[in-house]
Formats: sequence, C-alpha cells, structure tokens
Amino acid sequence: MPDQSHVGRRYSAPGQRIAPEAARAVAAAIAGGDPVREAESVPPTFAAVYCLAPALAQLFSDQEVGIDLAGLIHGEQSFEWPAQVHPGDVVDATAEITGIDTRRGMTLVRLAMEATRPADDTVVCRATSLMIVRAPA
Amino acid sequence: MTAPAAADVAIGDAVTPFSRTVTQEQINAYADASGDHNPIHLDPDFARSVGLPGTIAHGLLEMGILADAIASWAGGNQNLLSLSCRFSKPLLPGDTIICTGTVTSVDDAGIATLEVGASSDRGDRVLTNGRATVRFSH
Repeated sequence: MPDQSHVGRRYSAPGQRIAPEAARAVAAAIAGGDPVREAESVPPTFAAVYCLAPALAQLFSDQEVGIDLAGLIHGEQSFEWPAQVHPGDVVDATAEITGIDTRRGMTLVRLAMEATRPADDTVVCRATSLMIVRAPA
Repeated sequence: MTAPAAADVAIGDAVTPFSRTVTQEQINAYADASGDHNPIHLDPDFARSVGLPGTIAHGLLEMGILADAIASWAGGNQNLLSLSCRFSKPLLPGDTIICTGTVTSVDDAGIATLEVGASSDRGDRVLTNGRATVRFSH
C-alpha cells in the first residue's frame, strides 16, 4: 500500500516522441463523429500520452509503492502548457509523488509531472494528478 | 482560426455552447489512441463487477472534449494555456457531454481566466471545479 514514505519518489521517462500519427489518433478519438478541428496540431490533452502515461506506467509497476489498479480512480487532473508541442518533437518527462494521504479508507496519491523539450530547453507541460486508491472490498 | 481580441473579451462572457455525444466506439478509439485499456472503459461485465453501471468514458477523453470546446471558442489549441478539473461523475456511452465556461477575469496581458465544467444530458455534473486560462490577442 502507498504510504507517506513514498512521497518524493521520482520517475523519469526521457525521449518521449510526439508521434504525429498518435497525436492524430487522439485528436480523432476526442472528435468522435465530429470533424477534427485542427488536424495538424497536437491536441492539448495529448499531454496525457507524453507526460502523464509514462509516469503512471512507472508508478503502477513500482512494487514498493504497490498501487492496487483494481481500486484505482482518477480524481483530478491539471495541465499547464507554457509552450506548444509540435508533431515530431521529443520531450523528456519526469514525475514525483508529492503527497499521500489516507481518508475514509481511501488512499489519495498526488503526482506532479513535467515535460521538457531538450532541443530548445523549454518546458512544454506541467501537470498534476490526484489518483484515488479504494481499499480492497 | 482567429482568436477574439482581448479587448472584446469581458468578465461574464460565456464559451460558445458545445456538446458532443460520446459512443462506446469513441471510448474504444480513445483507449487505443491513448494506450489506456483499463477494462472499466471497455468491458461492461468487468465495469459492473466493480460497482459501475457499465463501461464509462475515460476522464481524460472528457477533458479532451472540454479542451476542444474552449480552444474552439478561443481561436485554437495554441491559445489554451492551462486546464484543470475534477472527475466527479462518470460519463456513460450514449451520453451527451455539455461543456460550459465563463470568463472570471481578464488581465492586462490578454490572459483570460475561466470557470469551466461539463455535465451529461442526464443531468450529472461530470467535470467540476474546472478552471482554464486562455490567451487572447491584443
């Protein structure tokens, strides 16, 4: 189970490529039956793929933290985009566990993430997530 | 796309009304595109086994639609500077998500702050405590 001792754990996922076809696939899925609004642009929430997903993959496979995926709920999410990413960009993603609290049998795990484009040393996304782990039934 | 000029944006202005019906096919497509194949989004039997009424949309798919609504009003993705929200209630396949936003402040640099959110056509407030910042041209 996640506990206070895991606060401060860091994860790193360098070399995340903004694959144009992956960005287009996310844009198309968001559009659903509607036309894609900006076909050549990376949808803002594609940050879920290049910034959030690599961190979560490492967190979820971190046996020492031991998050039970069956009881996991995504509670809150924030994104900030100080600069735009473009198809083909390569970014380095990092993440840190910033808080772990227990409330009414649920464990609240807070994460802060950042994606930087080394080509021009620019932060392209800052993100925070609240993940809620429900106690096993 | 051209963004509205900052001088034309005022406190109380509303984001252009925006709604989109979310289908299971769309949720499947988002799972493939994002790599999030959690069975609560894809397998109705599994979803019911964990107490949900059936499969539910990814919160990040809903947030993507909210971003689409705001960026569309603001003149393009490049003008959306930040977005945050709470995933309060699940959105089910077949639901229509209705996105809203209201300008709460505009600064001298042409950055507008908005309260934003989304409801389902069944009346559930699915995205709450939402906040966005948007850049407008001078």
